[in-house]
Amino acid sequence: MIFRDNPVLSRELLVNLRSPRAFVLQLLYVSFLGLMVYFAWPAGAAGAKQVSAGAATRLFDLFFLGQFFLVALVAPTFASGSITGEKERKTYEMLLASPLDPSRILVGKLLSSLTYLVILIISTLPLMILCFLLGGILLSEIGRAYLLLILAAGTFGLLSIACSSYFRRTSSALVVSYLIILPLAVACIWITRTDNMLFRDFVSMSVLPPWCLAIWTVLVILINRRLLRPPDVGSEGRDVVDEDQEMKYAIGVVIDRDLFPDKLFAPAKRLELMPDGTNPVLDKELRSEIFSQGTLMLRVVIQVSMLLSIPLMAALLFLKPQNSGYYVCYVLTFNMLVGPVFSSGSITQERERQTLALLLTTLLTPGRIIIAKLAAALRVSTVLTLLLCEQLLLAYGLIQELRDRFWFLFVYLAIILMTCLVTTTIGLMCSSLSRKTSVAMVMTYLVLLVLFAGPVGLVRFLEGFTNIREDRLAALTITSPFSAALSVPAYRAPFTLAATSAATNPSMLPPPDPNWIQLPFTNGWSVPVWLVFLAIYPPLCLGFFGITYVAFWLRWWKAGGSA
Amino acid sequence: MIEVIHFTKRYGDFIAVDDLNLSIGRGEVFGFIGPNGAGKSTTIRFLATLLRPTSGEGRVAGHSVVTDPMAVRRVIGFMPDDFGVYDGMKVWEFLDFFAVAYEIPRVQRKQIIGQVLELLDLTHKRDDYVNGLSKGMKQRLCLAKTLVHDPPVLILDEPASGLDPRARLEMKALLNELRGMGKTILVSSHILSELADFCTSIGIIERGKLLASGSIQEIQKRLRSHRVLRVRVLEAPERAAELLRAEEGIRSVEHYDHTITAEFEGEDADLSRLLNLLIGAGVGVLSFSEEPLSLEEAFMMITKGIVN
Ligand SMILES: Nc1ncnc2c1ncn2[C@@H]1O[C@H](COP(=O)(O)OP(=O)(O)O)[C@@H](O)[C@H]1O
Ligand SMILES: [Mg+2]
Repeated sequence: MIFRDNPVLSRELLVNLRSPRAFVLQLLYVSFLGLMVYFAWPAGAAGAKQVSAGAATRLFDLFFLGQFFLVALVAPTFASGSITGEKERKTYEMLLASPLDPSRILVGKLLSSLTYLVILIISTLPLMILCFLLGGILLSEIGRAYLLLILAAGTFGLLSIACSSYFRRTSSALVVSYLIILPLAVACIWITRTDNMLFRDFVSMSVLPPWCLAIWTVLVILINRRLLRPPDVGSEGRDVVDEDQEMKYAIGVVIDRDLFPDKLFAPAKRLELMPDGTNPVLDKELRSEIFSQGTLMLRVVIQVSMLLSIPLMAALLFLKPQNSGYYVCYVLTFNMLVGPVFSSGSITQERERQTLALLLTTLLTPGRIIIAKLAAALRVSTVLTLLLCEQLLLAYGLIQELRDRFWFLFVYLAIILMTCLVTTTIGLMCSSLSRKTSVAMVMTYLVLLVLFAGPVGLVRFLEGFTNIREDRLAALTITSPFSAALSVPAYRAPFTLAATSAATNPSMLPPPDPNWIQLPFTNGWSVPVWLVFLAIYPPLCLGFFGITYVAFWLRWWKAGGSA
Repeated sequence: MIEVIHFTKRYGDFIAVDDLNLSIGRGEVFGFIGPNGAGKSTTIRFLATLLRPTSGEGRVAGHSVVTDPMAVRRVIGFMPDDFGVYDGMKVWEFLDFFAVAYEIPRVQRKQIIGQVLELLDLTHKRDDYVNGLSKGMKQRLCLAKTLVHDPPVLILDEPASGLDPRARLEMKALLNELRGMGKTILVSSHILSELADFCTSIGIIERGKLLASGSIQEIQKRLRSHRVLRVRVLEAPERAAELLRAEEGIRSVEHYDHTITAEFEGEDADLSRLLNLLIGAGVGVLSFSEEPLSLEEAFMMITKGIVN
């Protein structure tokens, strides 16, 4: 009953699977994985059985990891727009007013957002079997992997739909889903990848499934309730955000615009007219529109990130200060997730809300409009990200080993600030290139993934399956702030034997350092990865900004953005 | 004040507006009339510098829409047919935003915003959030926004669409007031009666072609051939109908109960001759009048190709 004759499901499946894009994407995905297997295929397999077994396990692990993160990254993009999309298209009330049972709506949305993902996962089965043929992997391992993947797809999909039912905009739902799902994904991987086989099997067979089922039940009940009794949005779906009201009834952190640090990203509303020379767009974005989607998204973002930062701070900064780079990576990931929210909607939203024509017939020049949008988004994203740097400062104050090289704190901060700039500019660029905010946002995440995470993954892969020298590979990672942060030698290792032997024995060449890059044409000069990172992005950002400007100018300024 | 010269806009193979020419003088109120999808908004967006023409040129107050959009923006107030408002803004902030965007210095802004709110009867809504306003209020707010920089030319795309009858009347009164202030107004609508009372001239557009344009009198003169006569008589309506039918210039005569309706082509002198005839015949004329040709009928005739 719930599955058959489900109009929501059949409509969405029709729209999603009928497009040629779906097949092209699947083709690309499978051929990408196929290429990976091809390159990683142990050469001369006949002679080296043992080697090939190890390689098979590594390959299989890599596969599983890749697929798992694919699920974590892709499930929200499909599912988090499922209900907010209806709200944005103003079909939500129609759907609610229909005699459709909420659970049928839910099942329709869930299955339709996950079908494609499941198809993608299953289409990789032959490649997995190929790894199996290499030997060294149990069939049960493969079964376990697919069980985990399916569990993850269900949980992440439901979580995203829950977010979608609680927020008004796809962008909010998407970022909050990611913020909840990525830590879960990392934790899950961490648990299930220990070397202790017994523990691993125990966890993935007997602990995770019941927990997942419990979470599913809770989520289904929550979503059902939300769909049965949606909050009163008033006629024509117009809803006014009443800040006083929200402040009074909000749970957890409240944002108070009069207080530090909240006023840094949400300056108080004006009581008087703007002074002369103000950029009205900037003023509007910061003072009026920052809470336009309600404060819920911002509050959740702040709370979740703060909550996560506490155990991470303890583990990475205080217990093992040599891992301080990984804490910075956390801050960077946060910015990568949250930064685009504020910029990737800034141009598309003018269009979606039909205010673009009003804006464009004023005397504001495109340059001023875009600069204002960039500045507003950059300010919010930077302040929210810097809130997480408190812990870094604290660590530098308390830990001797870090304080010894305190100047590297500034390198860390520079990397973080540069990343803020990059995520915002790329978000704005995608916003000027696309028609819908949700598309712009996914596009931004894709670009960031390719620039930031892609190189790290590639290098890991090449390290594992080829024997190119590490310092050569480092040159590939210069676009990634993660490798930049990890290349900072912030921690002065306590006196060790290796260090002395290198110092006392200058004739012995030190091994090539993977954190340094040999500059071409300079006969042996090398620079640290982080320096290259900091050097290449300013011109790149200028380029992104240039593209934004031209796109805005061409597509809207002159052509008016008619529908 | 406003000139459109050979404006053509194509979307792919589809011609939205085809070689349109218009000229609107200073202080005129021009009603731009056409059914949905006729190309009104396309023309208006072109004049508001939001649309590149496929070919053709437009001038507002002597400035070219194509080559000098900034100067055009300075002199026009534009109200789109479909518009949204910003979230989280109050009415006065919304107006202040646009006042700053039109580079009005702060000393003047306070006064201007007060005046505009007063004119549009929004003073009591000054501190409300714009998103919570009703459709009619939003429409008025948008009109207020177009007035903050006191432009001599107003370009309004269907300002009354979607309003209830009362708000419609209010919008009409407002436009009348603006006409009194000497502004040149281009206003579009797909409903003719809305524009009939206060337009000095109209243009009728359908499927991208301008079918007729000129002052109201001119248009009506061109429709002279289709005057409708209505007579009520006390007795013998059949005989009155007979009499009328025999006259020259009368096309068709119908009578229902004691009312006779006749279609007629001719001058006012012919009308008075007909009246004398009926009185002479002693059928007891109760009333004798010419049905004013509503713009609706004019429109139907023009778009049916009776005229032109
Ligand atoms: N961006 C566009 N692409 C294709 N066709 C369009 C576009 N904009 C408008 N049109 C078409 O142009 C015609 C005129 O539209 P419009 O000027 O908006 O009519 P209206 O007189 O109702 O304001 C319509 O048939 C519409 O479908
Ligand atoms: Mg229109």
